Amino acid sequence: MTTNIPTVDPATSGGVELRKEPSYLRVSSGLWSWLGTLDHKRIGLMYLVGVTAAFLVGGALAFLVRLHLWTPDGALFEPATYNQVFTLHGVFMVFIFIIPAIPASLGNFVLPLMLGAPDVALPRLNLASFYLWCTGTILAIYSIINGAVDTGWTFYTPYSLETGTAVVSMGLGVFVLGFSSIFTGLNFIVTIHKMRARGQTWFKMPLFCWAIYATSVLQVLATPVLGVTVLLLAFEHIYNIGIFDPQYGGDPVLFQHFFWFYSHPAVYIMILPGMGVISEVISVHSRKPLFGYKLIAFSSISIAVISFLVWGHHMFTSGQSEFVMVAFSFLTMFVAIPTAIKVFSWVATIWGGSVALSAPMLYAIAFLIIFTIGGLTGVFLGTLSVDIHLHDTYFVVAHFHAVMMGSTALAFFAGVHHWWPKMFGVMYNETLAKISAVLILVGFNVTFLPQFEMGSLGMPRRYATYVEEFQIYHQISTVGAAILGIGFALMVGYMLASLAGGRRAKANEWGGVTLDWHTPTPPNLYNFDEEPVMTGDLYDYTSGIPDYGKDAPMDKDELAERQAAEGWNA
Amino acid sequence: MSGHAKVVTPTPDGGFATHEVAHHFKTAEQEYQSGKLAFWLFLATEVMLFGGLFAAYIIYHDVYPETFVAGGSTLNWKLGALNTVFLLTSSWTMAMGVRASQLSQKKALVGYLVVTWLFAAGFMVVKYFEYSGKLSEGVGPGYWFNPVPGSHYAEVLEGLPFPNLFFALYFTMTGIHGIHVLVGMILIGWLIVRAQKGHFHSGFYLPVDLIGLYWHVVDVIWIFLFPLLYLVP
Amino acid sequence: MLAIQDPFGQLPVPASTFAADIDPLYTFLFATSLFFFGLILAILLYSIVRYRRKHADQPAANNTTHNTALEVVWTLIPTVIVMVVFAWGLVGNMDQQVAPKDAIGYTVRAKKWAWGIIHPGDAKQTPAEMWVPEGKPVRVTMTSEDVLHSFYVPAFRQKRDVVPGVRQILWFEVPEGQGFAGQDFHLFCAEYCGDQHSKMAGTVHVVNQEEFANEPWKGGLPDDPVARGEYWYTKAGCLACHSLDGSRRVGPSYQGIWGREGKLVDGSSYTVDAEYVHESIRKPQAKIVEGYDTAVMTAYDETALSDEDIADIIEWMKTLK
Repeated sequence: MTTNIPTVDPATSGGVELRKEPSYLRVSSGLWSWLGTLDHKRIGLMYLVGVTAAFLVGGALAFLVRLHLWTPDGALFEPATYNQVFTLHGVFMVFIFIIPAIPASLGNFVLPLMLGAPDVALPRLNLASFYLWCTGTILAIYSIINGAVDTGWTFYTPYSLETGTAVVSMGLGVFVLGFSSIFTGLNFIVTIHKMRARGQTWFKMPLFCWAIYATSVLQVLATPVLGVTVLLLAFEHIYNIGIFDPQYGGDPVLFQHFFWFYSHPAVYIMILPGMGVISEVISVHSRKPLFGYKLIAFSSISIAVISFLVWGHHMFTSGQSEFVMVAFSFLTMFVAIPTAIKVFSWVATIWGGSVALSAPMLYAIAFLIIFTIGGLTGVFLGTLSVDIHLHDTYFVVAHFHAVMMGSTALAFFAGVHHWWPKMFGVMYNETLAKISAVLILVGFNVTFLPQFEMGSLGMPRRYATYVEEFQIYHQISTVGAAILGIGFALMVGYMLASLAGGRRAKANEWGGVTLDWHTPTPPNLYNFDEEPVMTGDLYDYTSGIPDYGKDAPMDKDELAERQAAEGWNA
Repeated sequence: MSGHAKVVTPTPDGGFATHEVAHHFKTAEQEYQSGKLAFWLFLATEVMLFGGLFAAYIIYHDVYPETFVAGGSTLNWKLGALNTVFLLTSSWTMAMGVRASQLSQKKALVGYLVVTWLFAAGFMVVKYFEYSGKLSEGVGPGYWFNPVPGSHYAEVLEGLPFPNLFFALYFTMTGIHGIHVLVGMILIGWLIVRAQKGHFHSGFYLPVDLIGLYWHVVDVIWIFLFPLLYLVP
Repeated sequence: MLAIQDPFGQLPVPASTFAADIDPLYTFLFATSLFFFGLILAILLYSIVRYRRKHADQPAANNTTHNTALEVVWTLIPTVIVMVVFAWGLVGNMDQQVAPKDAIGYTVRAKKWAWGIIHPGDAKQTPAEMWVPEGKPVRVTMTSEDVLHSFYVPAFRQKRDVVPGVRQILWFEVPEGQGFAGQDFHLFCAEYCGDQHSKMAGTVHVVNQEEFANEPWKGGLPDDPVARGEYWYTKAGCLACHSLDGSRRVGPSYQGIWGREGKLVDGSSYTVDAEYVHESIRKPQAKIVEGYDTAVMTAYDETALSDEDIADIIEWMKTLK
């Protein structure tokens, strides 16, 4: 891509381009400069820390679940405790980690850079969204202390109405987290509409922006329905509003309709941003324009639209009318098509590229493999007669973990590895990163392939104990979880180590060409030295790769002078 | 980033404060458009939220039609109609207020906002009488639904399945709508204070515009609530 | 027959007529998936090896951004496949949904955490065990007394949620003459229903039609009332919440229960005698032992446990130390 910002040839500039302004990390310091910041990059980093912590908590809970299932009678917990543990795992992973993970952390950091904007359109709302996320998380933690929740993350009525656990405060937490998500989505839609650089038309927007756009539309339109659902659930507890409770004339299946009207689009709130990350990573690390750009962009939008029309496929055994089932199954099949298009396009992008097997690329390849498994097994579940057999078994568990954990979480980590040098100006140990990517790919398959088989054999989900014939599958799965755990622990380790003493990152570590790589590394407070104007093609790797704005110190005297005048630390 | 005209001064100039465009916007126009789009999206979330409640109402109306017709007949449609007139009129005064702010007419703006606020307050007073009338006869939402034997409600609802559902939905929907009216009153009050200080003028009237939009949506939701609840077909 | 239906051995024993349709569809899906997965993986690995970046500024071998023909083809192929799968699944599902007219009727009552099965022509509920004949369609009408449950027999490829306030119907037929008579199959609860969800299990016994005519569900009860009492304890769902070793579950333990005295939530005191046990089974909410939740246990009526059954339980309780 070409812009008005000159590309610097390290050979002729002596390899050093002096920054014109301090980076966003150095422009101010102190706790309050973070907690009160309106800078999209700092807010993105705070989210990054938060969601990663949530992921580690959720992961630890998942490992406890797997350990417990080592023996048929359950190795660790009473059933009541087990039910709380898997519920908390679900709530933490779904509402606190995976929904905000990519949009709120990477999206916040990268989206304005990709659009050539100095910030998101509504910085205050952005910070408010972060604090709502904190509040929702605190409410969730409060619910754990105050009796925990044992309903599953789906809160199905009437069980959720009569269990003596902290459903109301957890519901409130989910409500607040929902608003955090709405604010993020709303902000990004406005940013994409109103803040694009001059010359950046809709079809010159990187695919990550398209993915975030589709996600944001879902966040804004679907999340309020979750809001009203948990509100009504709370009203059931507070004054027996009755609409979900058969004792008062209500219908428990209506709750499922409400819940899945949100939670099915939510599945795409989780996966679409991951697809966007993968598009960028594959293009940069294959040094090749994305194959079928427009088709990928449209497939994101069409997935978003279809996702509103398929919620009933979560309820094929609930006794809906056959007519309704036919419609939902038919529409569900149409999710498979844009999904397949994306996978084919990614592979075609790698074909004929200049493929670097860097750490982010390995994560992206692991994503491709697991996402393909997740997508193909989704077709099993959309097929009416087969789903009747597989519904609520471990097949479903394995399928959605392939999509959420094996795909979205891996895309998230691919993105973190990809933009890490841009975020902090340092590089992690890439050898360890590659080992970790391989461990995670292997660990994932060892964990979840046996679960597909168990589910096909009829092992129901959410079982604290099970019949003996399934033990071998459970044990293999637990071993896989241990491998996964080692992979993630390693990742956290070398990432933190890079902050302490990683090598200084190159200005453009991977040779990216989109506008995010036209900023100094790390970017300025308002990102760009001068307002970027886009002229050439989007993914054009042939007209010079930006190598701009190394984080080398400024001229020494100037540095001291500006430090004194502006009060920032080098 | 190179700057453009970042400070907006009003025309005509008398007695108004200038407005500074936020640091990350290039122009006042970009700021205005961004705010407006964001607010439309927020209103879309409101519509989805009420959409869920309307869906629940329509479903149970379908399941228990006699109960819902009888339940609707116990509501006082005259009070409902009065409230409809209040809100419709206030929507008009709000629109006039927005126009006054665009024309930098400070006195007219404050006047229209005050009238709008008074209509909103009138709406809440009528709601208060409706609610207390029901509660005094034992007709409350859900748990508090125990119509006093021999009361009008007990007679009309005699023998019908799950009259509690109709009233639970009535109180929940009008309650959430009422909270929106209260929030609107707070926002309009804040506008009145700022308008007095001369913050809104032809160069900057975004808050008046946005809260105006909010108020119209609150009005439109009532336009759907009133026939659904009070004039059940 | 088996080999064609499920060549990879991924599914349970095909003990219902649905398996003849579902298993080949599952296998078709699996084989197609395996093919596409293999294809994608092969192209992916080939590209990585073939186009690997060997020096730092190596440009891409080509910069193709699209190929309309290729894109149309890879949009159409999945479309055709998923439409075939949709239609195939729909036909199979119509079959699963609509019970034949001559089906024999069962009633299933689900509660936390036990299945109660009322066999055709019977009024009394058999706990957790179901006898079905081979070669005859079986229609099960299901109700729930508390929360959602789901009736799932993996070997029958059939599942249906049991929803409180609604009658749900499910049917199946065990094919005749394929050796299923005499076999037992798992009955699971597939919809999460709380604490003892995973223990809400049962057994489906398939018998041949002559044996079925003998109403096998009626026999098999021990002659000794104490042993019968223990039978009800294990099968009717009591054990899910009441331990025998003093450990705390959802309800009070039965260890040394007979004659036990203690306090109720309302502060009054109780003594475990015949009247108390009878009342606690018929009206569990009447007396709640201090420290336990109300509204957990649902009542057992005459159909579930007769007065004679309760008398058996009382005899058995007297023996508990």
